[in-house]
Amino acid sequence: MRSDNTETKSNEGEAAQFESFTIESTNGIVADYYRSYYNVIFRANLVLDKLELATPENKAAFAAEAKFLRAYAYFNLVRLFGDVPLVDGLISPLDTETAFTRVSSSLVYDLIVSDLQDAVANLSDGGANDQASKAAAEGILAKVYLTLGRYSEAQSLLESIMSPSRGFSLENDFKDVFYNEGNNEVLFAIGYAPSSNDDSQNFSAEWLNAVGRTSGVNYVSMDAKAFLDANGGNRTALSYREDAAQAGKYQVVKYLPNGDAALGIPVTSSDPTSAGNDWVVLRYSDILLMHVEAIMAGGASTSSSNAIASFQTVRNRAGLTDTVSSISKQELADERRVELAFENHRFFDLVRLGLAQDVLSAFSAANGLGYSTTDLLLPIPSIEIGLSNGLLTQNPGY
Amino acid sequence: MKQIANTIKSNIFNLKMLSLVALAGFIFSCEDNVLPEANSIEDLTPPSAMFSATESNGDWQTFDFSNQSVSSTTYAWTFGDGSTSTSKEPSHTYAVEGIYNVSLTSSDANGLTSTFSSDLEVIEPLVPVILLPEILEASFEDGMLDGGSGDGRDSWRSDLGGVIQITSSPTNTGSQAAKFPSGGDRAAYQELEVSPNQDYVLEYWYTMKTSGTGHMTVSVLAGGGHSDPSSAVAATIETFEGTDQSSSNDYVKVELPFNSGNNTTVSIYMFNAGVESRVDDVSLRLP
Repeated sequence: MRSDNTETKSNEGEAAQFESFTIESTNGIVADYYRSYYNVIFRANLVLDKLELATPENKAAFAAEAKFLRAYAYFNLVRLFGDVPLVDGLISPLDTETAFTRVSSSLVYDLIVSDLQDAVANLSDGGANDQASKAAAEGILAKVYLTLGRYSEAQSLLESIMSPSRGFSLENDFKDVFYNEGNNEVLFAIGYAPSSNDDSQNFSAEWLNAVGRTSGVNYVSMDAKAFLDANGGNRTALSYREDAAQAGKYQVVKYLPNGDAALGIPVTSSDPTSAGNDWVVLRYSDILLMHVEAIMAGGASTSSSNAIASFQTVRNRAGLTDTVSSISKQELADERRVELAFENHRFFDLVRLGLAQDVLSAFSAANGLGYSTTDLLLPIPSIEIGLSNGLLTQNPGY
Repeated sequence: MKQIANTIKSNIFNLKMLSLVALAGFIFSCEDNVLPEANSIEDLTPPSAMFSATESNGDWQTFDFSNQSVSSTTYAWTFGDGSTSTSKEPSHTYAVEGIYNVSLTSSDANGLTSTFSSDLEVIEPLVPVILLPEILEASFEDGMLDGGSGDGRDSWRSDLGGVIQITSSPTNTGSQAAKFPSGGDRAAYQELEVSPNQDYVLEYWYTMKTSGTGHMTVSVLAGGGHSDPSSAVAATIETFEGTDQSSSNDYVKVELPFNSGNNTTVSIYMFNAGVESRVDDVSLRLP
């Protein structure tokens, strides 16, 4: 939401701080996110610490899965918060120094890279796509490498995933990416089970209006709607819809829990607030567009035939079959915006491609929002700073 | 009806009164803040200036400055080229390359200041050069190497097969061409330094004897250091298997487009099977 793509329906409350670039260090959503990710890291560290309990033949794979998840958590944390405390093992409650000392993001990236390299080496494909796999680790590591400007290493990993023998491909129907779970396009998803007390999710409902007690915390910005209308091809109709209860407001349709008969989207959960829609983290069109990015290698454009082939594959599925002869960085960012709309890529893409300053300052100015460059990092939650007894420092601008 | 109108009027009046009261309250509270009273405490967080600069997208001369100052309200920038700004987050365009000392002085309303300065290197990025390597002994003539040395095939030797033979007739141009006897145990191999992910076209001419069946194959391999035929074939980027046996004298031109992919070296690998074949005039060009 901290981008030009979505906003809350009411434009108020904690969630709206994200869209207006006025996030407070007391924001509960930020604190929840921060703590949840350190909980993931704690659990991964716990698995790694107790590996001797696993049968010998499972040890390597279990360790690799834990490292994959730890790396994924740190990758999100380091991109959102910058330097963060680096906890790579179980620590005692009294070890506040480790828990609250922010370390340089380059050291955090070192752990992310080595964890993912281990995961690539020790995982295999063929399991459920909500479980860590070799391909998922390669894909996330490729994105890490792109973020770090290590383009050639990213390209090797992506081409490994793209090898036909690996069996990944785009779904013919864009809708099936989200409503035919377990398809060959999704490399990694956070899996949810409908109507389950423990394994369902309620973000699908929270994003909508009056489904349960919800009030629409992720509506489509007019900017994104206009952009999808112009550039989305057949993806547009499957990316947003008008709110039936409120004309002129638009909802994301990629994760509907209660279906949409007009779009042929089935009801996925009898109770929409206990939804089973998976959260797609990594899918094959992202791999193809990262392949373009790796070949562009930080340049302004590419006309390499291999890059164009990957780019064209994504566009062809969307029904945009006009021939492309070169791809600029802007065109790549634009294609990512419509292909991966509302899948939590836009902000990271803008930062990684060096477009955040231009795009967000212009969007902020046009809409009277409060963007400044320090908004590219989230605040360290004030409750954590309070607990740290002065060890944990705040990001600038908060 | 009139009564209703009156009610509305009086409501409006009440509303005005309310806002007056609210305004008055605001003024009083302002005055409270202005006067240093007993119990006011010292400002323990003086300004601390800090910034970073990033090159603006697609414009090496323009920098966007990110203001990371703490506890500050006003800002004074000097960009090191005589220009200044008082914006919180300015961007600045430099006219020429150079190293500029950029300084930010951040102040708070108590008049305390803090200054941070840092050198900024403004440098025009190099335009990437597309490598177009020369193919050595490309026409298999004698004396093409340094100092007039070379037997026309020195640059094509490898462990992938026996060294190619040299033929003087027929040739496509010049007086020599490469010859691959029907035994198929010879290979020509040469490594080229290329730009990654670049499209190239490899051109060559070949001819085959009219009797027997077989092929004259030319491949482009990813990377270098190939010494084993099966792993070399596995590294193939593009290949053309020539089977034109219509004339043993007239050479046929082949254009083999390929993309160098994620490689800084590619290798040309030529081999035949079954039929005596010839190759001449190998060249590389951009598409």
